[in-house]
Amino acid sequence: MTTEILLKVEKLTRRFGGLTAVSNLSFDVQKGEILGLIGPNGAGKSTTFNCVSGFYPASEGRIEFLGENISKMNTAQVCHKGLVRTFQHDSLLTDMTVYDNILIATFSTISVKSERVRRVHETAEILNLSDHLQEIAGNLPHGLQRMVSIAIAFATRPKLLCLDEPLTGLNQTEVGGALAIFRRIRDEFKLSILLVEHNMKAVMEICDRIVVLDHGIFLAAGSPLEIKQNPAVISAYLGKRA
Amino acid sequence: MGNARGSTILYVALLSLLALGGSLFAGTGFAASLVIWVSINILLAASFRFVQLIGELNFAIAGFVGVGAYVAGVCTTKLGVPFVIALVSAALAATLLSLIVGYITLRTKGPYFMLISFAFTEVLRMVYTQIDYIGSNSGMLGVFPPVLLTDYYPTFVVAVVLLSLIVLYKIEQSDFGKVLVAIRNNDAIVQTVGINVHLTKVSCLAISSFVAGICGALLAHANNVISPDDFSFLLAVYTLAYIKVGGESHIAGPILGASVLTLLAQVAMGFGPFEHIFYGAAIVIAVLLMPDGLVGIIRKFLGLPPKPQAAAKH
Repeated sequence: MTTEILLKVEKLTRRFGGLTAVSNLSFDVQKGEILGLIGPNGAGKSTTFNCVSGFYPASEGRIEFLGENISKMNTAQVCHKGLVRTFQHDSLLTDMTVYDNILIATFSTISVKSERVRRVHETAEILNLSDHLQEIAGNLPHGLQRMVSIAIAFATRPKLLCLDEPLTGLNQTEVGGALAIFRRIRDEFKLSILLVEHNMKAVMEICDRIVVLDHGIFLAAGSPLEIKQNPAVISAYLGKRA
Repeated sequence: MGNARGSTILYVALLSLLALGGSLFAGTGFAASLVIWVSINILLAASFRFVQLIGELNFAIAGFVGVGAYVAGVCTTKLGVPFVIALVSAALAATLLSLIVGYITLRTKGPYFMLISFAFTEVLRMVYTQIDYIGSNSGMLGVFPPVLLTDYYPTFVVAVVLLSLIVLYKIEQSDFGKVLVAIRNNDAIVQTVGINVHLTKVSCLAISSFVAGICGALLAHANNVISPDDFSFLLAVYTLAYIKVGGESHIAGPILGASVLTLLAQVAMGFGPFEHIFYGAAIVIAVLLMPDGLVGIIRKFLGLPPKPQAAAKH
């Protein structure tokens, strides 16, 4: 695996008034890897995600993507650099068809109509959505809605795909299918994935490396095996022995 | 399939409009004026609805119509500019102003934008009353269409309205139009995939205002007299009534709503000062009994499923 760094987060701090949601956090995502960002509720995962994707400005620190400082960029600008995210909630255009959901994602990056249409069909095929293109996205079962939200982000063909709890509410079969898709798009399209997820079994199965946060502070980083055996991580998740 | 049927509704509505246009050949009196009012109100409602695509209620439309009317009036009566150039100038002036206003105000949304747009219309109306050059409170007199068009002005208005409606419909059906609807649906996602939501919303307002400017110019030359009170917030309320009665989910809604209400309003004029109650009652009845207006009733009649509204999210 190459060690070229795609995303570099350096001493990221984000405050909301008197509350520090993320403090002095540093980590990087390497080209071609799937990096898991985990931690208990309130650990600062979503805040980190929002800062990285340009939704929140960082209070302090620096975020570099392919060597360029993206700390002050908005979400649309970050997307054009090749970093796109999904949302945990309200993650699709519920009133529109699956086709239109994916089409919207191609609007700013592809100027030729026929090329947009081709991209929509290619994306739908990879995400197993080809049979649902003309259905209203909000009417689909939960599992398919999750795939649509990933399709929207993936249709921009990012270099780094940030997935915010993409497996929430999926059954075991659907989780297996989703993980297979993540591997496929990583391998075929040479992209990296930053994954925030609570399904530990899936995280351990698919991630190359894992970064653990707790109360907005970096707790640990390493391979899934190292994280699984890390006493600090076990303590954060299960609580300290009395 | 559904889209094809939706287009059918549009074509039926357009044909009705053409029939109205044809009626002007019967004479040039009240019937001709009615054709003009119906046509302009249709375009006004379509322009209002266009901004609803991004989920906003644009009460500033009355202000932009006023700018179009006054610019066209000044062009033809004060500067002696040819009518067609006056028409284009009116549309461009409204567009330019909307770009500035939209750039500043469209960072807000929902009730905030609605209130700002309402205030904008009223401020503009008060500004007209303070400018002697455009007749201040008394208004501007003698805004006549060119002699060449005198007998054919209703036909000209119908043609311009039809052309504008087709352009608005084509834009709505394009990928850009889908982006506008997507912004109404979930602007965070649209932003995430690299689209500048703010500038897209400003563009939407500018397109709508271009059409509103055309409405203003046509109206000024149809009525021959314009005064500040013609462009108060009430104009926007009437327009909202056209859309609520006609339906928001399809561009045929404004066509049907404006046609029906403008014709019925001729009866309401007999109510004197209570005329406004007519429009208020129309909005209330439409909201309570016809969630998608006349278009919704037609869709139900044709056995089509209801379509998502183009309504603002508030």
